[in-house]
Amino acid sequence: MPDILVQYEAEIWASIGKTFVMVGVSILAAILLGLPVGTLLFLCRKGQKLENRIVFSILNLLVNIIRSFPFLLLVVFLIPFTRLIIGTAIGTAAATVPLSIIAIAHYSRLVEQSLLDVPKGVMEAAISMGASVKEIIFKFLYVEARSGLVLGLTTSIISFISYSTIMGVVGGGGIGDFAIRYGYQQFKTELMIYMIIIMVILVQLIQFTGTTVSRMIDKR
Amino acid sequence: MIKLHNVSKSFSRFQAIKSILLTINKGEIHGIIGASGAGKSTLLRLMNLLEVPDEGEVEVNGQKLTNLSSKELRQARKSIGMIFQHFNLVANKTVYENVAVSLELANFPKKERRSRVLECLQFVGLESFVEKYPAQLSGGQKQRVAIARALANNPEVLLCDEPTSSLDPNTTAEILGVLDNINKSFGVTIVIVSHEMEVIKSICNRVTVMAAGEIYDTALIEPKGIQNLDNSPRYFIEQLTKDGDLDHA
Repeated sequence: MPDILVQYEAEIWASIGKTFVMVGVSILAAILLGLPVGTLLFLCRKGQKLENRIVFSILNLLVNIIRSFPFLLLVVFLIPFTRLIIGTAIGTAAATVPLSIIAIAHYSRLVEQSLLDVPKGVMEAAISMGASVKEIIFKFLYVEARSGLVLGLTTSIISFISYSTIMGVVGGGGIGDFAIRYGYQQFKTELMIYMIIIMVILVQLIQFTGTTVSRMIDKR
Repeated sequence: MIKLHNVSKSFSRFQAIKSILLTINKGEIHGIIGASGAGKSTLLRLMNLLEVPDEGEVEVNGQKLTNLSSKELRQARKSIGMIFQHFNLVANKTVYENVAVSLELANFPKKERRSRVLECLQFVGLESFVEKYPAQLSGGQKQRVAIARALANNPEVLLCDEPTSSLDPNTTAEILGVLDNINKSFGVTIVIVSHEMEVIKSICNRVTVMAAGEIYDTALIEPKGIQNLDNSPRYFIEQLTKDGDLDHA
């Protein structure tokens, strides 16, 4: 292993750990909240089972607003909110708040798009069999859209990694922050390149896993 | 068995169904024929409230569907099977799972599910396809799975929306045979929408002809041809007895 990596090994592992925490929490937020929000966006559309213009418009606007923020500004803008929830606006835990917010908005849009690919006829078959809304979602929609949902999550996770790299501004740490502070600001270009390589490998692994899983579960 | 009482349905400004009165008797195979856009599919979809009428009452199996709460409606739909032109199977479920899901929805006793699914698949001749996915089946086989799915809960009524319109003539005959068999074996009332006269003539006891959102005529079909029930124009009956479909007429 190159000397410089050995020299900074502990810091590098610590920053990888922080990246994993930030991205991990984002993934959880995406699944636990982004998935339901995206499902609701889909179901409240015109002609769908829960058609509701008001709910749809509000959610749609909210998702659009969050997604139109330059992420750095969103982080700064959310500082009071972060302080309210975590008690501080600084550190890895605090960094997970804006990341989760963008994660929810990002993934919910991809969920909505995946669900739109489910043939309308399948929904009709479900309704004609007397399925409830819950049954339509879990026994039909998610089953039929599952490969799209996995691919969407893969795309989202890769975006979360990218978003997490700027969390240094609020002391969130992580690989990106490490690369900037040590590699860029301390002129250790070599170290920066190694960090970029780590990120590239990480993204490749995630994309490969996502693509493989989505292909395996796609029987269409 | 099915009664539509002054039922109307519009889509934005287009009036698809104009105050229709129709009674379909228990145990019959009733055809609905008409040109594209005549409203025949809409009429069928009103029978399980896939389309909610703007006016009028829909009664199936002694229940006024139009008066039910959404929960009661879901319950009522479990005894109204439906099959579609494009089969509408869940592509990510196996043949077995596609049939089983309708039992799950109806809270069919868990222990008896497997045997009921296999029984239904056997009836449509697909017992050896349980682990296959719809993508691995032919059109006719997919429609058989859809029939098994619709049949699983022992429905009183089976609604068929252009069930053979994407199938070749041989497969069409097979599927119609299966439907006929269901009617004969279980006494299920069947309503078939089709634009093909051949389909109607080969299987139905009675036919309703639709034109521009209205019932043009209802006629009894005898083995030898079609007899007029109402006193409607002669030329129309001649058309009915001719081969070919009404789209070209």
